[in-house]
Amino acid sequence: MAGLAAGIGLFLLAILGTPLFIVIGLASLVAFTFSGIEVSAVAIELYRISSAPTLLTIPLFTFAGYMMAESGSPRRLLKLTEACLGWIPGGVAIVGLVVCAFFTAFTGASGVTIIALGGLLYPILTNEGYTEKFSLGLITTSGSLGLLFPPSLPIILYGLIAKVDIDKLFLAGILPGILLIAILAGYSVFSCKVKISRKKFSTTEVVSAFKGAWPEFLLPIGVLTGIYGGFTTPSEAAACTAAYIFIIEVFWYKDLSITKDIPRIVRDSMALVGGILLILCCALGFTNWLVDEEVPMIIFEHMRTFIDNKYTFLIFLNIFLLIVGSMMDIFSAIIVVVPLIIPIANEFGIDPIHLAIIFLTNLEIGYITPPVGINLFISSFRFKKPVTELYSATIPFLLLMLVALIIITYVPVLSLGLID
Amino acid sequence: MKVLKLIDTFLEKISSWVLVASVFAMLSFSVLNIILRWMNTTIHWVEPLVRHLVFLATFLGGVLATGRGTHIGIDILGKWCETNKKVEVHRWITRIIALASFLTLLWLFKSSVDFAKVELEFGKPVFWGISSGYLVGIIPVGFIMIAYRFLFIFISSFCSPREHENSVVDESVAGG
Repeated sequence: MAGLAAGIGLFLLAILGTPLFIVIGLASLVAFTFSGIEVSAVAIELYRISSAPTLLTIPLFTFAGYMMAESGSPRRLLKLTEACLGWIPGGVAIVGLVVCAFFTAFTGASGVTIIALGGLLYPILTNEGYTEKFSLGLITTSGSLGLLFPPSLPIILYGLIAKVDIDKLFLAGILPGILLIAILAGYSVFSCKVKISRKKFSTTEVVSAFKGAWPEFLLPIGVLTGIYGGFTTPSEAAACTAAYIFIIEVFWYKDLSITKDIPRIVRDSMALVGGILLILCCALGFTNWLVDEEVPMIIFEHMRTFIDNKYTFLIFLNIFLLIVGSMMDIFSAIIVVVPLIIPIANEFGIDPIHLAIIFLTNLEIGYITPPVGINLFISSFRFKKPVTELYSATIPFLLLMLVALIIITYVPVLSLGLID
Repeated sequence: MKVLKLIDTFLEKISSWVLVASVFAMLSFSVLNIILRWMNTTIHWVEPLVRHLVFLATFLGGVLATGRGTHIGIDILGKWCETNKKVEVHRWITRIIALASFLTLLWLFKSSVDFAKVELEFGKPVFWGISSGYLVGIIPVGFIMIAYRFLFIFISSFCSPREHENSVVDESVAGG
């Protein structure tokens, strides 16, 4: 009875908007107290995070992403991509998709992409003849599009929680990420009814734009070569990326002031990192308690009564994760849900890497799923539009992403092909 | 109230500067270690030091996120109140959240002090001869700093509306 009351109390606190690390921390304290375990065990579990070898990747990649977002990097990359792809029908929209995906991979889909790039992309898209609805839908959707590409923060966090190799996850996300962009790019090219003006391809323009943006453009290639060439671990790649971005933005481009901008960027990025890692810290105790109490196995046994094969389970998983994704922030969803899902998915014989990609794709879609997908609110705030307008603008994109999700779910080779 | 505000501002400032120093220290030491590794040399204390700097940054980032109201949460009701201009309901929600958070953090503080006491007695040196007992001290110090900020939000919510506006927890969009 007391357990039920505590559960209801925690649920109420959560829906009121209490910070999740508080809700989960309190759940851990209550669970340990009910089980007759000293509450200091919560702090012991919490301290375990300081021994995670890949922990460093989270603050450093986030810091690097924030520096890029605050610099002139979005403008330079947009210019380069426009010069390369602007001649294709629907090219400007494709430029938007590619640049946003690039940025989200570095900023971790924290809303920074829409804030940093939205203001640049929106007038370009509307000036090119795209409707306001299409432009809003595209930017809102693109805000989480690069989430499957390395070195995205949700991938790192997933690897940390699920104890899956981060470098394998980085590889696994590439093809599904490209599929998502390709489907949305196809929609931009073929389904846009307005007559869009097309630019002529100009080698001079490409060379000039490349000269301006090559230090940033080559960054993802550098990160991937470092990790898969065996030159650096993911943590070292994060350190190199942050140091590199710091040097080029402060000393090469001189976009950021070391005394004015950098301390502010550190504060902004670390406020996000602190928010994420505090949830992770507090969740370690709670998820261990759940595992000790065999909660995932109890759920599995119940599920077995109405789900008897892996394909039905995958349908169920997708529906469940879409709901989770539209209600919860991606970071807390990973921290809270992954430890529960993994043992169950394992019992159904789903590859942990494939599961990771399905999981992250669902949450990526959750960002634009009404009523509370976070990108909808960020766009509403950024473009000063009612959130209901954003709902209708993103629906075609949402449906297409669901098609991509089905392909990613039922064609495992897409996620596992590069690893195999 | 002035003193409370002063303490809160002090916590914000000290956290900000220690954070900047921590981030640059973790960045410099990590890069140094990579360069040394290419020369077949390793400094063994760098890795645990950097990991503890990240641990410290977690709590200090949490202190900043509390002041800004950017902690991650399922803010369905808060958003509904904002959309429907239910200012008074929103204020009461803020108060409940701040008080519940403060009390939970006090409990977490107690649990981490107990852990730190044990570590001080039985812990081993982690780097530079510093015992894990002192490093574990990051947890209670971090929790009590965050707890204070929630307490300040709670108290200031009963003051003038303008002062309340400055401290209200009204955003759940992390980093946005």
